[in-house]
Amino acid sequence: MAEMMVIEDVAAERKAFFMDLYQKAFPLVARYISSMGGSFEEAKDVFQDALVIYYEKLTSGPVELQYSEKAYLLGIAKHLWARKNNNKQRHTTLDDSLEGIATAENDPASSTEKLMELLNTAGQKCMELLRAFYYDKLPLHKISGMFGFSGTRSATVQKYKCLEKIRDTVKEKSLTYEDFLE
Amino acid sequence: MRTSLNDIKQIDDYLFKYAAPADRLLFEARLILQPTLQEKVLWQQRTHDIIRQYSRRKLKAEIEAVHQQLFNEPEHHSFSRKIRAFFSKH
Repeated sequence: MAEMMVIEDVAAERKAFFMDLYQKAFPLVARYISSMGGSFEEAKDVFQDALVIYYEKLTSGPVELQYSEKAYLLGIAKHLWARKNNNKQRHTTLDDSLEGIATAENDPASSTEKLMELLNTAGQKCMELLRAFYYDKLPLHKISGMFGFSGTRSATVQKYKCLEKIRDTVKEKSLTYEDFLE
Repeated sequence: MRTSLNDIKQIDDYLFKYAAPADRLLFEARLILQPTLQEKVLWQQRTHDIIRQYSRRKLKAEIEAVHQQLFNEPEHHSFSRKIRAFFSKH
């Protein structure tokens, strides 16, 4: 019960964070994309990618913003819009650091797609733990609480166990799916 | 920790450049001597790519849920109307 509550806390915090940014910055971005002749759907896609980029920037270290958050998000959105229109013939390609956000969703038969599906079901518990560590970069004590570990040390051990397990799955499945495709 | 977990940890330290210079050199020497370790490094790197992709999808789903809430729930009606207005002339 306590375990569930902490997970919900973290998810709720993130939700409140995005809700706030959406309300503050989406009007600016939508107005900009509309002035450039873009559609509502395009504004939405660009804005959501900008949120992901901003989130990843925040998790990878302290960010000193020269301007407000909304000005920063608008800046990312303008950049993404410009790139999108430079590569119109290709599927949306974002920054190199963002490979995978858009591209991996295109081909449902790809080995990555199958792997993702598998990890979503069979490996979900480990994937959520690995996400908290490597992507959300939450502090160890918070992760211990979220997943009900006795302490930070056991959380660390469990992280490596999960990484090993998922690595084995990735290896095994990548090899079989590639065989299958050939 | 088990030996295999120590390996996992050392590979992580190497990939994320956490290892001290001396440990890094030692690890690089092991990489030359042990092709199986090399292979593990590659799979671990691929696994980290997969974790990032998985996490981004989950994050995007959370963002999409926020979007749906803002554009479908009556309490946010004035917000969604304001946004829609930007696109009404197209």
